[in-house]
Amino acid sequence: MNLMPDFNRFLAAVRHKETDRVPLGEILIDYSIQSQFLGRPVAADDLPGQVEFWSKAGYDFMPITVSMMSPGKVTEESGITRVLKEMVLREKPGTTDPKAWNLEFTSFIHERPDLDKFPWEAAADIDFSKLHAVKELLPEGMKVIAISGKIFTLTWMLMGFNNFALKLVLDESLVAEVFERVATIQFKALETIFGMDHVAGVWVVDDIAFGTGPMISPAALKKHVFSWYKKVGDRCHENSRIFLMHSDGDLSVLMDDLIAMGLDVIQPIDPSCMDMAKVKKQWGDRICLIGNVSNELLRSGSTPQIEARVKELLRDAAPGGGFALGSGNSVPNWAKYENYTAMRETCLKHGSYPISIR
Amino acid sequence: MADHLNTIQGAVIGGKHGEIKGLVQQALDAGLDPGGIVNDALIAAMDVVGKDFGDGKIFVPEMLVSAVTMKAGLEVVKPHLAGGESQSRGTIIMATVKGDLHDIGKNLVSMMLEGAGFKVMDLGVDLNVDKLIDQVKALQPDILGLSALLTTTMPEMQKVIGELKAQGLRDRVKVLVGGAPVDRAFAEKIGADGYGANATEAVELARRFAGAKG
Repeated sequence: MNLMPDFNRFLAAVRHKETDRVPLGEILIDYSIQSQFLGRPVAADDLPGQVEFWSKAGYDFMPITVSMMSPGKVTEESGITRVLKEMVLREKPGTTDPKAWNLEFTSFIHERPDLDKFPWEAAADIDFSKLHAVKELLPEGMKVIAISGKIFTLTWMLMGFNNFALKLVLDESLVAEVFERVATIQFKALETIFGMDHVAGVWVVDDIAFGTGPMISPAALKKHVFSWYKKVGDRCHENSRIFLMHSDGDLSVLMDDLIAMGLDVIQPIDPSCMDMAKVKKQWGDRICLIGNVSNELLRSGSTPQIEARVKELLRDAAPGGGFALGSGNSVPNWAKYENYTAMRETCLKHGSYPISIR
Repeated sequence: MADHLNTIQGAVIGGKHGEIKGLVQQALDAGLDPGGIVNDALIAAMDVVGKDFGDGKIFVPEMLVSAVTMKAGLEVVKPHLAGGESQSRGTIIMATVKGDLHDIGKNLVSMMLEGAGFKVMDLGVDLNVDKLIDQVKALQPDILGLSALLTTTMPEMQKVIGELKAQGLRDRVKVLVGGAPVDRAFAEKIGADGYGANATEAVELARRFAGAKG
């Protein structure tokens, strides 16, 4: 089995072509998993270690976050936390509770005056150092996908979900302005990203749905979120980059709109509410799918269960290309390591084209 | 009479929060029974809203605006209710369990329960077992609603139920669980009294529990 990174392999899958094997794809793999794989510690500041992991584990690209927020959660280290902390301490010197500047606990834009008070310029100061530094470390054939975006999530987090939802109906223009300010920051970042040859795509990580369906109406998503993402997609394609998206939840009623906005890849096809075989049948010829081994299975399942599930996915989604195998979200530290390796190895063992699993 | 009730219902369903107070006042001025305005217009409207939400016809923002509209209407009618009529259908503690900061789902369920006439004590997120047990003792709710979004935090629900049993409180409170990774099988396994797949189901269960108690 060829483990050498080859971004053309992934690109072929995105273009619905079969190559030597089904690619692997993740937005995030916890450092504890990377450490176990390499047999030595890999940490957030160990970029060479991370590159070694992604390339040796059989991935054709490694994801690197360049947005204001880490994928999944806001941490003390997130750029947005730093900006908010400075703002809070400027307004209320002596504040010591970190919850005061953590978007998981608090929000900042409730009414129109808050919009102008917010330090947008500081928030737009995104750190690209990791993205620059990785260039010299990448083995031949390997590319980087920049994780950016979060236009929807960042907007509602800045406003607080209840307030955001109410204002979307009661003061739509305020919400539209927050969307615009957040999106403008993302667009500025895109131009820097496009200046880097080793970055082959932009992956927006933005949860827009619950398990029961969209978090706001499809019409509102189309008007306020997808309109921006269409521009992101257009800019990506103009610059010969691919455009990927991650969202949890049931996206069924949104799939046609997501495809129409120019999305090349959707991940992870949330296994708690979406059926990969059905998604492949209905939309698989128009968009590339990445996923969708359940994280619950990675946490509590057995390796035979993982193997069986990976084989099902290869059988249902891999023929004809347009598919990369991965987890049903990301690979967290609570996934069993043996299950992660079983997922990866089963794909490498049984994912050679043409797929022969019946 | 029916006209007033229908208009109020329509205003709640349509989220006309700017109009609701005037409409409720007009109904009171016309001599309508305050209890009827609450049950047959305000709460009835939220039943429609809950169903539409469950059916995917409306989404969270529209539901929240209806809930806010309903509350504004309730504020106008409350002073006119006789003692017995102003009593809630029951008291419910809502909380997201320890280690979990997610509250969107919990907040929606809380809003809908309030809309259905329950008194809701929302304790917030990241509640450990001891704090929850203390609050159950102090507030003596009819129902304890527990939410979790993470597979890693849902076992906390079982710990809460275990501690309720250990402290002899289990028979005094119904436990209702929900959240993305939770399902009916898990709820049964940990000994919860009910599982709500969404806000509408949670309200239905709460009503059933309140009815059983009555």
